[in-house]
Amino acid sequence: MPRRSSLPVTFVVPTLVILLILSMVPTLYAIIIALQNRELSSAAYSWVWFSNFVDLFSDRRFLNAVWVSVKWEVVTVVATMVVAIGLGVLMFEVASPRLRNLYCLLFIIPVLLPRVSAAFVWKFAYHPLYGIATYPYRLLTGGLIFDPLSKPSTALFAVASVDVWQWGLFFAVIVLKLLETLPPQPIEAARLDHAKRWQIHAYVTLPMLKAPLISLMFVKMIESLRSFDLIYVMTRGGPGVATETLDMYAFSQGFIESGKVSYASAMAVLMMIATVITFTMLWKRVQA
Amino acid sequence: MSAIVCSHVDKAYGATTVIRDLNLSIEEHEFIVFLGPSGCGKSTLLRMLAGLEDISGGKVSIGGKVVNDLDPGDRGIAMVFQNYALYPHMSIFDNIAFGLRRQKVPAPEIRKRVEAVSRTLGLDPYLGRKPAELSGGQQQRVAIARAMIKTPKVFLFDEPLSNLDAKLRNHMRVEIARLHQSLKTTTVYVTHDQLEAMTLADRIVLLKDGIIEQIGSPAEIYGRPRNMFVAGFIGTPNMNFVDVTVGRAGNRWTLTGAGTVLSIDGAGFHLQPGDRAVLGIRPPDLKTAGAGAAGLLQGTADLIEFHGNDALVTFGSGGKEISALVPARDCPVLHAPVRFTFEENDIHLFDATSGASLRRQ
Repeated sequence: MPRRSSLPVTFVVPTLVILLILSMVPTLYAIIIALQNRELSSAAYSWVWFSNFVDLFSDRRFLNAVWVSVKWEVVTVVATMVVAIGLGVLMFEVASPRLRNLYCLLFIIPVLLPRVSAAFVWKFAYHPLYGIATYPYRLLTGGLIFDPLSKPSTALFAVASVDVWQWGLFFAVIVLKLLETLPPQPIEAARLDHAKRWQIHAYVTLPMLKAPLISLMFVKMIESLRSFDLIYVMTRGGPGVATETLDMYAFSQGFIESGKVSYASAMAVLMMIATVITFTMLWKRVQA
Repeated sequence: MSAIVCSHVDKAYGATTVIRDLNLSIEEHEFIVFLGPSGCGKSTLLRMLAGLEDISGGKVSIGGKVVNDLDPGDRGIAMVFQNYALYPHMSIFDNIAFGLRRQKVPAPEIRKRVEAVSRTLGLDPYLGRKPAELSGGQQQRVAIARAMIKTPKVFLFDEPLSNLDAKLRNHMRVEIARLHQSLKTTTVYVTHDQLEAMTLADRIVLLKDGIIEQIGSPAEIYGRPRNMFVAGFIGTPNMNFVDVTVGRAGNRWTLTGAGTVLSIDGAGFHLQPGDRAVLGIRPPDLKTAGAGAAGLLQGTADLIEFHGNDALVTFGSGGKEISALVPARDCPVLHAPVRFTFEENDIHLFDATSGASLRRQ
């Protein structure tokens, strides 16, 4: 290699090495631990190879966690996109430019809240006796108790609503800004072509925004995977295992209930593999 | 019955008035061109006809029906935009069929009509492609097809050729003229290009600052401009303007200015001795004068622009630049003295203060 071109390499290589160590070492370590039978209570361990993985598939609580995770992912991503597109289009159609700016400001505030704060705020809002979100129910039923966070059928949706409150409103701002960047002529042409307001968006503007909307959806899918803090504060996976996602279950197996770190690592490794495969497939699909 | 009638139409954005008390009646099958400099309100007026802009005051009716509060889709119009405004994510077929689908026309009929229209415009090979895969001229043809297929009462064109290169523009201009000849649909066409206006229009509506300066056939606008603005705006090369003072000499009138005294019969004009007026004469109307001719504009040729068939000779006369278009073979040499005369019928006289034509109607 000519001497001149070695200078950039000199600068880049240390950074790359550090990044590689930071990302690869924990990953490799997790894989190694997943193949052993380490527990927090003792230093002794031996190699058990794939038996952790085999055990996982006969663990009904693990299978439940997989199902909850999938439900969580689908509910939050779909609801966020629906809220974002619905609100974005609504603002675009009815709000004056000045009002739009005000809404944008308001809608960005929830996402600026740290997740844990948002979780606490809503946990209290859903409080069966004092919560503002359950107040209308108490008022209408004459004081009946409704506790969405402790009913297995509603808990997941109650927690998901907080996620959508944070991200759906924020994405609505992005959708509005995307709509504003579109050239006005195709919209005018559609109006002349007898398209109704909703048809203009269904057939013209949203298809024109397909690529950025899909990118937004990917961002939300990745973001939804990292819901641990929200669920931990609001329900800790409860009631029972109704909101126990994979990361919640891994955490409780590894650190709270039994200290089986190898078992928890096996779950983390499976989750990583599943995520990589799913996202690669979806990405390829979208690109095609 | 008139196809389009605008009566006392105003348009204001806040405190800025763009169009003021505009009255216009467009006949059926007519090809009308709105012509004017940038910002004269011609596109705004077109968009008001289309329903894309609110009408601040007055009434607009299309086909005998007041359309002020009708949606663009319900006005029986179709519009072609300057930048084509095609739906980028749809195939050419879907672009053309979009309007019919919204009107719930049955699919077999849509297919039949799209095929017929695309045959007329030579688009059949491209129906499966996306707009981005077509050239500018083809895209504009798709936009025209999309407008045509709705069989509208009125076609609106908003500077449809401005985004095309010069050669394609000529070609598309001819196509639009042919299309109008065969369809006979009432057409309103906005442009800032006077060549387009002159070649396409049955009547030209010349606008300035939201006011109609003159309505008339291309020949009327060119030959009998009602004021100095119209005279200066229409015609390439531009009309020469010379400030003159009107005088009386015997039974003839004299025009004194630009270092010369011109004698005219003056019967066709409203003249008063002592009036200050502006003499307008188009460069092609100046003829090289023979020896001994009277009523001359003369000077030294300071600039000669060769155009091919003709040459534009610019000379100074009494401190005023005057241009004359002469056949290239009669072109004088640079810095040679030149003398030009004219037919009285070809000159225009305007009031120096108001700019209005002094010609007797």
